[in-house]
Amino acid sequence: MFLQQFVNGVTLGAVYTLIALSFSLVMGILGVLNLAIAELFMIGGYFGFAVILAKLPLPVALLAGMAGAALVAAAIEKIGYQPLRNAPPVTPMLSTLGFSIILQNVATNLWGSDPLQLSEEVLSARFTFGPVSISAMQLVVLGATLVLVILLAFVVQRTSMGRALRAIAENRDVARLLGVSAGPVTLLAFMLSGALAGAAGVLISLHYAAITPYIGVEIGLKAIAVMVVGGTTRIWGALIAGPLIGIAEVMTTAYGGSQIRDFVVYGLMIAILLLRPQGLLGGPRSEQGPRV
Amino acid sequence: MKSNLIKAACIAGLSTALTATAGPSFAQQAGREIVLGAIVPSSGPFAEWGRANTVTLQMLERQINGSGGVNGAKLRIEILDDATKPAQATNNLRKLAGDDKVLAVAGPLTSSAAEVTFPVANEMKTVATSQASSKPGVAKLNRPWAFRNTIDEGVLGRTTVPYYKKTFNIKTVAIIYDAKDATAATVGSRIMPALMKENEIDVLNANDPLSFNTGDLDVSAQVTKMKALNPDGIVVSADYSQAVTVIREMKRQGILKPVVGSTQLISSAILKAAPEIPIIAPATFYATMKGDKPEKFVSELQPLLRKTSGLPAEIEPSMYDANIYEIVSIYIDAIKSAGVSGKAEDLEADRTKIRDYMAKLVGFPGLGGPIGFNDDGDAIKAFYILHGENGSWQSKVRGCSTAPGHPGC
Repeated sequence: MFLQQFVNGVTLGAVYTLIALSFSLVMGILGVLNLAIAELFMIGGYFGFAVILAKLPLPVALLAGMAGAALVAAAIEKIGYQPLRNAPPVTPMLSTLGFSIILQNVATNLWGSDPLQLSEEVLSARFTFGPVSISAMQLVVLGATLVLVILLAFVVQRTSMGRALRAIAENRDVARLLGVSAGPVTLLAFMLSGALAGAAGVLISLHYAAITPYIGVEIGLKAIAVMVVGGTTRIWGALIAGPLIGIAEVMTTAYGGSQIRDFVVYGLMIAILLLRPQGLLGGPRSEQGPRV
Repeated sequence: MKSNLIKAACIAGLSTALTATAGPSFAQQAGREIVLGAIVPSSGPFAEWGRANTVTLQMLERQINGSGGVNGAKLRIEILDDATKPAQATNNLRKLAGDDKVLAVAGPLTSSAAEVTFPVANEMKTVATSQASSKPGVAKLNRPWAFRNTIDEGVLGRTTVPYYKKTFNIKTVAIIYDAKDATAATVGSRIMPALMKENEIDVLNANDPLSFNTGDLDVSAQVTKMKALNPDGIVVSADYSQAVTVIREMKRQGILKPVVGSTQLISSAILKAAPEIPIIAPATFYATMKGDKPEKFVSELQPLLRKTSGLPAEIEPSMYDANIYEIVSIYIDAIKSAGVSGKAEDLEADRTKIRDYMAKLVGFPGLGGPIGFNDDGDAIKAFYILHGENGSWQSKVRGCSTAPGHPGC
């Protein structure tokens, strides 16, 4: 059972990683906690579901989920962030909270509160390796997460837009003095973040072959915990913290009791905040200038 | 001719005088309104149920007004959305009873909401009757103004579990429940373990309860753990939308064991989750129920539900639609037969009359059979053990929640 639970934990951790990266991109670069990301995850899932129900292939569903969530994220940036960029940090955060509630209501009105289910699972094949059974969709979740993380790394490390993102994240004032334009960079950060959340939504909803308008709330909170544990000022902390939290959660349920699962996950987050506030990989916040 | 006119004038005068001496209520005068309240979750996790409840109440309102109203007065049902939030349900009750001066309230839907709303009903001396709450003791703790047109899950389980044991030769079970849902947690942690013990079924995880939280997407760890226990059957205590997550994960991990649960499982959505897994659960009404009343109710309501935006195209009337239809019908019967005046100055007395009528109610013709209320405020009515498999529910056993000192069903 241990190995099977480990596989369960890694799969869950992969999804946490994608959503935590989504939070980290905006938090690490702009210093804003975009609370609508949990619902971008949900909206992306619905877009992917719609594509699969239209009998189109999985890669199209993934792209549709990413594109749809990125567009919604762009709207959030234009309406909910840009006009408030000079306000205290709590103001844009509350604005994104408002968007989160609106998105949930829109989904409830469009698709209903009942779970939307697929009659047949996508990629239902299972592979058995001794005591461990893993589904083809689980492999896709793990593989797609890996590919998306590599792509994100490429964009952030190797492209001019990525350099602009990193410049802003390192020191916003100096970056602006060097001619980095804040507007497009901010929009890019929101859209990349939305695309990652949308991808996670498609992967998880197709893995479970069901989706509701409320799936974003719990998983969004866990992803925030992952981001805090990994470090809010460095986006790559989520790569370590995602699987760590996923495995900790699953192993606690399996061997410690499901009642203490949240105690362990959020206890870990509080412990990190007390003992290493910058997170496992995070640098000090003082390295950054004021928000863009 | 003149004598006829005098005679007519005398008759008219006499009838006016008689009406005046009898103290006509506004309920007996055309152009006036009888106002009842309803609390339903039209948004939030149970929006489907709340929206269907709203359509049901609007249909009943049209039916009553189309047939002359309540003693000649127009019926108006003031429907408020609690979004499945207990605090909002409480505010709704305060508004309905305090501002809108309704005679009685149908709702709220969930036990979590009923637990905090019923004390307010007592405080404001207004009858409130839940259409779905079935956690044991919720109405009992809030006598005399709280009622539920539902049956305690403990009572239903006494018929459900023996049927489940006999049908599938169950000797061992594993229990999993939603720890954040008031009814599900009570059924999963207290009622089902006790019923299993009564029926000599071994609960393999009795010392290691398996739970999850409302909204959890991943229950793979819990299901892997259940699989390792290898039980004959699985108890899933959760509302159907959460139970779908568990049942789909069971199917994914290859656990095709029969499932048993409470009324919370009854839905068409759950049958789609894994049609090959048998599901046993009790209900007081189901859409394919036979009989003039239920068939008429379904044939009238179903088309309305299906053309309402925000509801699934294939929706069927649920047990909770039937329950809220019965609740308001009982209130209307109380207004008609208990001498409710409907005058503003008689509001408190009228509410008391409705309460007393409810407490003594026997044999009200409900959709699934006669309805009364026991001393705890819960319904005495017929129930059915349903067996869901391959996409449809079939009724297998009929029971009655009869109580000592009260007539049965």
